[in-house]
Amino acid sequence: MSDSTKKWFSLNLTKKRKENTKVCGCGKTSGGCIPNNQNQISNAEFDAAVDAAIGDERKKDGFDQVFDVKMDRRTAFRKLTASLVIGAGAVSTSCSLTTGDHAKEKAQIDWEEQFKGNYKLMTDQEKKATVDRLVRSYQLRKGQNISMSSKNAEKDVLFGYAFNISKCQGYMDCVNACVEENNQDRNSQMQYIRIHEMKDGKGFKFDEADDNYYHEVPAEGHFYMGTQCFHCDNPPCVEVCPVQATWREEDGLVVVDYDWCVGCRYCMAACPYDGRRFNWSTPEVPENEINKNQHYLGNRMRKKGVMEKCTFCVQRSRAGQNPACVEACPTGARIFGNLLDPNSTIRWVLNHKKVFRLKEDLGTEPKFWYFMD
Amino acid sequence: MNRPKHKYVSLCSLLLFVAIFSCKHSEGEYHSITDKIEAESKNFHGTSISSEQYLEGIQTIQVTEGKHSFLIPERKSKIKSFACKECHTKSLSELKGADTIKKAHWDIRLAHANLHTMNCITCHNGDDMDHLSSLTGTRIDFNRSYKLCSQCHNEQFEDWKGGAHGKKVAGWAPPRASMTCVNCHNPHKPGFEKKWPARFNTQKVKERE
Repeated sequence: MSDSTKKWFSLNLTKKRKENTKVCGCGKTSGGCIPNNQNQISNAEFDAAVDAAIGDERKKDGFDQVFDVKMDRRTAFRKLTASLVIGAGAVSTSCSLTTGDHAKEKAQIDWEEQFKGNYKLMTDQEKKATVDRLVRSYQLRKGQNISMSSKNAEKDVLFGYAFNISKCQGYMDCVNACVEENNQDRNSQMQYIRIHEMKDGKGFKFDEADDNYYHEVPAEGHFYMGTQCFHCDNPPCVEVCPVQATWREEDGLVVVDYDWCVGCRYCMAACPYDGRRFNWSTPEVPENEINKNQHYLGNRMRKKGVMEKCTFCVQRSRAGQNPACVEACPTGARIFGNLLDPNSTIRWVLNHKKVFRLKEDLGTEPKFWYFMD
Repeated sequence: MNRPKHKYVSLCSLLLFVAIFSCKHSEGEYHSITDKIEAESKNFHGTSISSEQYLEGIQTIQVTEGKHSFLIPERKSKIKSFACKECHTKSLSELKGADTIKKAHWDIRLAHANLHTMNCITCHNGDDMDHLSSLTGTRIDFNRSYKLCSQCHNEQFEDWKGGAHGKKVAGWAPPRASMTCVNCHNPHKPGFEKKWPARFNTQKVKERE
């Protein structure tokens, strides 16, 4: 164990003795004299092992994935050994004296990340440590520097949102800004925000509304309204999570620990507002489009098989800035602020306009109000 | 005699129990979010978060109207040919006479209310082009043109002061900063034009086929 406060066993690969830095006979300052890649599992081998383990599951879904599997003794054995290869690969990389410093550091980070706890239960030091590891890991893998915050909720802050239905014109600038800010998967064109085009005189009829229109807006005889995660104060998605990977923070943000999520999608089913999105494939964002100002609970890169959703741009809002959608909206239909500040604009709207929320009778207490001029 | 009394006591204690433990969500002590907001904001003394850094590079002026006080972007330095006096050396009536000079502001077509209600001199004063002019003829600084708009659009003015109308600048945290009328609306043609949405989701179309 590295230190007594740690909740899991550490490998301590990179804290090595000083004499290692001496130049060796072959002129190398790191690793051994044997060619580097001998004991290290290569990317191709790793992928092959993963493929052998879960290859079929990629193509199948639900019932098929579990029951439509021919499992004779040979495949069962193959699957078992494949999993062993992955584990052994990590161990051999980390234990070998012949691999390079970077590989060891990577293995060390992967180990620590594998065994870290739920973010909700971490102390501030632990939060900082995981964020540092993720930043370093990104640097090692991609050669790029990102900044990642683990800023906690501020006292006396409760975030709330108001949306002016009379002002929204359906331009969808908010959606684009959101996708860019939050590093959402470009392949599946994931978007947290939906703008619904509703017919005048029909009221809120989501079954008749169109959320993927493409014609000049505002269209005659229609009005527009947006939905996203409403950051309920009594969030049903949090109740159903079997592993407590999602929770409500002190400042009212409902967040997800992407490293703790097991991808069961109960929360997706529990949300009455279609606020949650699932990564069916590994999210892909071109390197030059990645927003490098990140937060652990916000827009850091997600993995395949985890949930994500709007966080009111936690990386921005906890720093005092407006979420990207508010900043992008050219009509001023979006208002964001601190509900506990009696002088905030959001409080003025709640106190002076006729506000309402979606499905208020469910008791979910969304912190997202609609109003009209 | 003893029995009904006993019943009464147990009923009362049951009621008390219900009163204490019902109407509370498992995670908090408030019945609704509005109760929570009201109760928790009673002792609000501000936060350490500021949006000052996001206002850097934006020249602003302070607006104080009633009990509202906030920042709006400075305007005069953004008007291309301010000060107007540099061309309008003489009063408008004198300048108009000479037909030989090329006409200025030929591109401005007023599309704001109708001609019964508004024309150029509703807002501009031909004898003092460096200032705007209210309906009663008092001077209004170009930086505070909202005073001009608010003469007719008083409901929008109320909403703007409170924060329900108008795009916010920088952040939610204090100091509060907001766009002023002319930052979004062209005063000569204040309506918004139709345009194409910024995005079309082709994947959604595929998924819903």
